[in-house]
Amino acid sequence: MLKEYLAISMFFIVALLIPVAVIFISRLVAPKKTTPEKEEVYECGVDTVGDTWIRFKTSYFLYALVFVVFDVETVFLYPWAVQFQQLGTFAFVEMFIFIAILVVGFWYAWKEGALEWK
Amino acid sequence: MSFAQFSLNNAWLIPMLPFIGFLLIVTFFKRMEKTASTTAIIFSAMSLALALGVVAAIAQRPELIEEPFVRSFRWFSMPGLEISMGMMVDTVAAVMLFVVTLVATMVMIYSTGYMHGDPGYTRFFAYLCLFASSMLGLVIATNLLQMFVFWELVGLCSYLLIGYYYFKDSAREAAKKAFMTTRIGDFGLLLGIVVLQLNLGTLEFTELAEKLPAFAAAKPALLTLIGTLIFIGPIGKSGQFPLHVWLPDAMEGPSPVSALIHAATMVVAGVYLVARLFTLFHVSPEAQHLVAYIGGFTAFFAASIALTQREMKRILAYSTVSQLGYMMMALGVGSLTASMFHLMTHAFFKALMFLAAGSALHALHGTADIFEMGGLRKKMPWTAAFMVIGMLAIAGIPPFAGFWSKDEILLMTKLHGFTDLYILASLTAFMTAFYMSRMVFVAFFGPENPKNHPHESPASMLFPMSVLAVLAVVGGLVGTPWTEHGFGYWVRFGEYHHPEADWTVMGGSVVLAVAGIALAWAIYGAKVIDAEKLKQRTGFLHTLSFRKFFIDEIYQWFNEKIVTGAGKMLYWVDLHIVDGLIDGMAYITGKFGEQLRLTQTGQLQHYALVLVGAIVLLVLLMGIVGADSAMALMGGGR
Amino acid sequence: MNFSLLSSEMLAAGLGTGLLILGLIAPKTENRRGFGYITAFGLLAVLVATFFQYGINQSTFHELWIVDDYSVFMKQVFIVAAILVVLSAVDFVETLPRFRGEFFALIVYALLGMMVMASANDLITIYVGLELMTITFFVLVAYQLGDGRSSEAGIKYLILGSVSSAVLLYGMSILYGLTGTTTIPEMLTKLTWSPILVVAIVMLIGGFGFKISLVPFHMWSPDIYEGAPTPITAFLAVASKAAGFAVMVRVFLLGLPLEGAVDWMLLISLLAGITMVIGNVVAIPQTNIKRMLAYSSVAQAGYMIAGLMSMDAPGVKGILFYSMIYVVANVGAFTVATLVRRALDTDTIADYAGLGQRQPLLASTLTICLLSLAGIPPLSGFVGKFYIFQAVMDKGILWPAFVGFVMSMISVYYYLNVALYMWRDDPKDDRPVPVPGPAKLVIVLSLVVTVVLGVYPGPLGELATMAAKSLF
Repeated sequence: MLKEYLAISMFFIVALLIPVAVIFISRLVAPKKTTPEKEEVYECGVDTVGDTWIRFKTSYFLYALVFVVFDVETVFLYPWAVQFQQLGTFAFVEMFIFIAILVVGFWYAWKEGALEWK
Repeated sequence: MSFAQFSLNNAWLIPMLPFIGFLLIVTFFKRMEKTASTTAIIFSAMSLALALGVVAAIAQRPELIEEPFVRSFRWFSMPGLEISMGMMVDTVAAVMLFVVTLVATMVMIYSTGYMHGDPGYTRFFAYLCLFASSMLGLVIATNLLQMFVFWELVGLCSYLLIGYYYFKDSAREAAKKAFMTTRIGDFGLLLGIVVLQLNLGTLEFTELAEKLPAFAAAKPALLTLIGTLIFIGPIGKSGQFPLHVWLPDAMEGPSPVSALIHAATMVVAGVYLVARLFTLFHVSPEAQHLVAYIGGFTAFFAASIALTQREMKRILAYSTVSQLGYMMMALGVGSLTASMFHLMTHAFFKALMFLAAGSALHALHGTADIFEMGGLRKKMPWTAAFMVIGMLAIAGIPPFAGFWSKDEILLMTKLHGFTDLYILASLTAFMTAFYMSRMVFVAFFGPENPKNHPHESPASMLFPMSVLAVLAVVGGLVGTPWTEHGFGYWVRFGEYHHPEADWTVMGGSVVLAVAGIALAWAIYGAKVIDAEKLKQRTGFLHTLSFRKFFIDEIYQWFNEKIVTGAGKMLYWVDLHIVDGLIDGMAYITGKFGEQLRLTQTGQLQHYALVLVGAIVLLVLLMGIVGADSAMALMGGGR
Repeated sequence: MNFSLLSSEMLAAGLGTGLLILGLIAPKTENRRGFGYITAFGLLAVLVATFFQYGINQSTFHELWIVDDYSVFMKQVFIVAAILVVLSAVDFVETLPRFRGEFFALIVYALLGMMVMASANDLITIYVGLELMTITFFVLVAYQLGDGRSSEAGIKYLILGSVSSAVLLYGMSILYGLTGTTTIPEMLTKLTWSPILVVAIVMLIGGFGFKISLVPFHMWSPDIYEGAPTPITAFLAVASKAAGFAVMVRVFLLGLPLEGAVDWMLLISLLAGITMVIGNVVAIPQTNIKRMLAYSSVAQAGYMIAGLMSMDAPGVKGILFYSMIYVVANVGAFTVATLVRRALDTDTIADYAGLGQRQPLLASTLTICLLSLAGIPPLSGFVGKFYIFQAVMDKGILWPAFVGFVMSMISVYYYLNVALYMWRDDPKDDRPVPVPGPAKLVIVLSLVVTVVLGVYPGPLGELATMAAKSLF
């Protein structure tokens, strides 16, 4: 039992060592002449323009949040719809309360302008 | 429900009403003098009405003599200690309620005249209300702790009122002296309460009464200790020897205060406490004897000082100390009845005398020496008459109130076999008659002093005096040996014994009183005997009495040499060693705090690092510490 | 399933949602004072409703949800805190540029989260309640739009709060892995010693300790307390902390066995001691009143957690009693800070100079509340400390009482420092410090309750005793 594991672990170690060795050796033998162009971040051959740390519009975030609301709703609605017959009136009313709460939230988001792209 | 029944059920209102008055005055009526005093009088008059209702209710229900009426709720509790707050009304409390509310109301009416135009008018009435409320709360306390709280409160009020003229050095000193002297007593009392609680597990009066006899049988010596410790409180509060020194100085306060607090009510709180714990002193004969002899000695001692004093209120103060000694002695010889009876009558006539003295001082704008007053009788007929009534009552001339109660005390002292105390008390009675009539003859009957321009006081001052005067005359009739179901039937401890009139005691005390008055007349009225010569003859004795047996000087010396010396030494230690230590510690703590404060960098990464790092460290710590418990578990050690 | 056990939570949820809808209907330009009063009255109704839940002691939803006297008492602590905070914030909210109505709705939602925590009998329910509370607080802390410090505090709280939540969740998942259950009473029977349990317990302590700001998980509190709008700071300092205690007591006393498992008591006592010391010592050099109160609240957490060391009903009673009086005294102090901030635009202690002349009511309330926090008799803080340390001493553990005593002596120094400025010094200028009606009500209430509960702690003490006994 252990022997088989030993073989596998040997294989893993060798597999790990080879790339490490390759990188290390190439570092040793490669010539090092740096120029500003060489220091640039490689991005599809084109020079980068401006700061990479830019601001997003928060509206993305709001959209995402509203999406999550409906996502969760679906997660609950699916099993409920499948088992609807067995669950009875109680579950029916319950689901309506749940949806009503979501609607209030949606109403709020709408009214506060979360869905408008400004 | 009748008014009487209502009063009994709601006796807690009696202390509450003056307190409401106090709150109203300090919050709303601070600048409205008339409204403030009227409020105070109305609220204390309502208390008086309720107190009368309580007395009436008790008269309808004789079973309350044995079983006090208790209503209480739990104040706080913790394992091993449960303290309730509430009211306990029995005949003893009813007497006190009546006396306190009556005197308080009268004094408040009197003060509208006496304090007229004083800049601190409303403050004065606020204090009076607070005092009345605390005193009444003390009276209806159901347990020792509640009583102690109110006991301290009345002490505070007394302090405030003695120092009422706070701009006077002497008043401030007197207030301080009173506070500190009574503190000594309170400390003893508190110790006693703690020891009592530790041993009996309760402080409720009713429960104590049940548990004490068994305890007395088991541990008599410990009970004596408790009794002695507790009695130190009354020694301080009721001005018993040797802690009596504060009471004469307390006369620095306004005269109505002296009448209310330092004659009729607060100073008898000590007597009342001993009466409340009569069950304790009853089963501890040693402690009870201590009470008797301290009381008897104080009575005699203070009377002998009063013989030669020259200031009117000082004479009255020493006479108060002496009379309080009487009450204590009565309790000590085992007669609750006599003590409470004397407490009541004494409140009437001593309050009357203080108010009359206040009236005289008011008229003379502060001439305190009786030898400079002279012949006030002509200009102040009413005040003089009231003073004479008071004098006759305290001297023990029948049928004035003081005669009956003093007679009861003397009789009880003799009946219980304390012959030595009986002789001492009789001598005191003689001296009392002498110094009181001396004061009256010198101040009111001598030739008029042309330097003075006295005038009679206004009606607002005369009215309360007349009420008290009537009571000083007839108030004793409720307890004569011939009264069926008199005072002694209602206020008693144990079985009711109707005392037989003892003609030798009665006659003896009358003869002594008359002799005292006659002697005073001979010296100061008719001047048959020359006072100056007498003074020279008695020389040393006179000086001893006049200088109050040098007690104050002894305390002064003790204070200056020993306490101050020790104080100086301790101050040095405090300054250089303790303070240095504290300062050093404070310095180190402060520095430590400042260093730690630097760890609060405001950097988010730091905080997160500390949070996670702490978790790692704690896991490691638990791993190391927990290792042995883990080993024990795995090795099956447990 | 017994839905009546959820009645007070349903009421709170209804109130919050109703407020939200009301905000949508009401015209935008109108002021939102009415919202504050509606919230206060609504919460008062919820408070009254909770009184009917005493003595039920039942659980529902397969033991996920429990209503015992303990949880009811804790809910009342939160509701009282919320009512006081709402009232003290009515006038503050009017100064906000936007989202004025939502402020109250968010407070109610945070309260709902706390109520869920108090009644949760299972790790997941605890976590849901905790997150509802915490996420709402992220928003509330950053509520002062345009104020850099408020936003900074919000971001810091968001990130650190997430870290602590992650830690807590990790601990909980390990517990689930060890026992196969998330219900607290079931865990008790299944846990035995293992190295991974040590990790789990440390992580639980870390996660909860963050909420109650136990040293060394307290680093966030001074920064966030300082930056957040003052009424929110008050709510954060009292209710969020009390909620942390509510779950911590339940999880540790009922869910984690001591015998044969990990000795978490050692850890708790260690941290309690350190917290008492550090909180008080670092409070001394503070010059900002909110930071000072932050460190003081750290120290208070140390006193309270010491009550856990007795492991019995009296100790829990001490914690419960202390939470209530801690709420009242702290809200009183923070309300004064709110008013002074509004009038003088400063939180610096030195600027409180002469408050005794400007507004004696504010100055005396602040003095009394601080002295109560210091534990000076006869104020209620003394009684609370007394209950806690007495319970611990009854178990023969003396050192917490000693440390607590020494440290409360030290705390008197920095508390009285504030009083010194207020009463000794003269005001620097003659700007008035107005006290609006609802805030005055809060101040007078906290003053009266602090004094009255100190003199007459009986009824609340008995309620707390009953609540504590329902746990055991």
